[in-house]
Amino acid sequence: MKISILFGTESGNSEMAAEDLAASLADTYETEIRDLAEVSPEDLREDALYVFVCSTYGEGELPNSALPFYTALSQTRPDLTGVHYAIFGLGDSFYTETFGHGSLKLDAQLKDLGAHRAGDFGRHDASTWEPVGEVAVAWFEDVLSSLQVNSNAA
Amino acid sequence: MQPNPAIAIVGSGPAGCYLAQTLRRSMPDAEITMFDRLASPFGLVRYGVAPDHQGTKSIQAQFARLFERDNVRFAGNVEVGSKLSLDALRDTHHVVVLATGLARDRALRVPGESLSGVYGAGQFTRTMNTHPHENPTLPLLGDTVAIIGGGNVSLDVVRLLIKSPADFDGSDVNDPAVEAYAESPVREIDLICRSSADAAPFDPSMLAELGRIPGVQFASEGQTLSGANTSSATQSALEGLRSSEPDGPPRVRVRIHFNSTTTRIAGKDRVEGVEIRLPDGSLHVIEARSVITAVGFDFDPSDPLLGEMGANSDTGLLAEGLYRTGWAKRGSRGTIPENRQCAKAVAAEILKYLAATQSSAPKAGYSGLPDATLRHVIDFEGWLRVDAAERAAAPPNRSRKKFADHSWMVATAHENIDGQTTSAAQRRHVKEQS
Repeated sequence: MKISILFGTESGNSEMAAEDLAASLADTYETEIRDLAEVSPEDLREDALYVFVCSTYGEGELPNSALPFYTALSQTRPDLTGVHYAIFGLGDSFYTETFGHGSLKLDAQLKDLGAHRAGDFGRHDASTWEPVGEVAVAWFEDVLSSLQVNSNAA
Repeated sequence: MQPNPAIAIVGSGPAGCYLAQTLRRSMPDAEITMFDRLASPFGLVRYGVAPDHQGTKSIQAQFARLFERDNVRFAGNVEVGSKLSLDALRDTHHVVVLATGLARDRALRVPGESLSGVYGAGQFTRTMNTHPHENPTLPLLGDTVAIIGGGNVSLDVVRLLIKSPADFDGSDVNDPAVEAYAESPVREIDLICRSSADAAPFDPSMLAELGRIPGVQFASEGQTLSGANTSSATQSALEGLRSSEPDGPPRVRVRIHFNSTTTRIAGKDRVEGVEIRLPDGSLHVIEARSVITAVGFDFDPSDPLLGEMGANSDTGLLAEGLYRTGWAKRGSRGTIPENRQCAKAVAAEILKYLAATQSSAPKAGYSGLPDATLRHVIDFEGWLRVDAAERAAAPPNRSRKKFADHSWMVATAHENIDGQTTSAAQRRHVKEQS
């Protein structure tokens, strides 16, 4: 299984988390890391696992670099049946009303278009000062084990 | 291109850190040094971002990677322009970039501005962040204070003034200043904003945040909307504030005046009020014992590096091999992440310049600086000792206790602590707070 990590960032924190995640996987999996600004929905394939690492900006919006991808999803509404993804959202719980809303929107859109989410929606809270890369790596271990449980059961 | 160009970045705040990041990605072998006049890195993240916004401050974990794994050198305790001349830096480095930000509160340019009792928001925030070059406590503000400006810094000031000491849990606020202020806190705050509610530059979430502080009563006036967008996030934040009635009599009242232009600060020897012009053209005086201005930051003409150069959004180039980035380039606009895009543009200019200067003479880089400078440098390891000492000294419910005295920071940074021995500076620091 190829793992494709797609990050959307405003401050650079999501990119850093994506890099840490990629580094933790590189020895075991074929891994690539890409800026969402350079990804189009047509690039999504069925034989890879896409890992979205994305922040929230302003009033619960997606970061600028993720907007073209999200807009393309909303406008062209491609059928994403058979596409597998996992998603990890960065936010700050200090902003209670909008905490993690950017990546939640992206998650809802992907699901709506038929893509299958692996594992739980991951979260990092800037207010905790937990190292974002470590939180992402620990979360993704759970995603991978849920995939194994599912494939064993099948 | 120079095989291993030597690059000096003056200032280790967000502007400098994003630039170092971008340059490092393109030039894995360049010698990159970030200078700071303080013993601590991160500039505005440490001393400008409000102490109760720890989530915003956590970006320093990203910036710390420059020094931890990206082979960027931190050279703290070096003031370029005084201890070390800009010429000496340019003689030894192929490229020098000024990322020194803007520390001076912008003038309002209204009569009465020089009255006693008028303070700048930058001053205020530095005190609350325990900046070693700022006053250790706040001035006596009196019962009533007017805050002028409609941006996030202005809301920072409001929020820090309406909080009780217990509302600062988890922060690294300057506790002696908070405790002294709590003895005679402000009772009435008038926030004066030139634009309408939905056109004001602050983030609606910053406004909504004010409503979570107990014991405060809010009112807003003159909030004519500029457009048809009545369901804006700002509007719902304002409605939230107005409906957040305190249980019992409020500790403090906050009135927000939209569409109100400050025309004059009234008073004889010290501030007595602020005169505003309302949308209908009439003049109205708001009583205030003190004024805090939060209308942006500006170039300081006495700054040996920046002087009166003004902002320029087109290019970071100042002279051959000399650039600037961040607020020192663009003026005081935008949030921390905006410096990332700014850094990318300036880095592209620098890369183009370096590619075109293949034949220039080699330069000595950091090690070519005068011994008198190098002797006093605080490196990243030194900063980590200060960082550890500050965290260890944190009182209950605080994330750290910052050193108020820069010579203390320097002393702690220079002492080699092996984990067993506590430095003399650390002991003094812990003792002082007990």
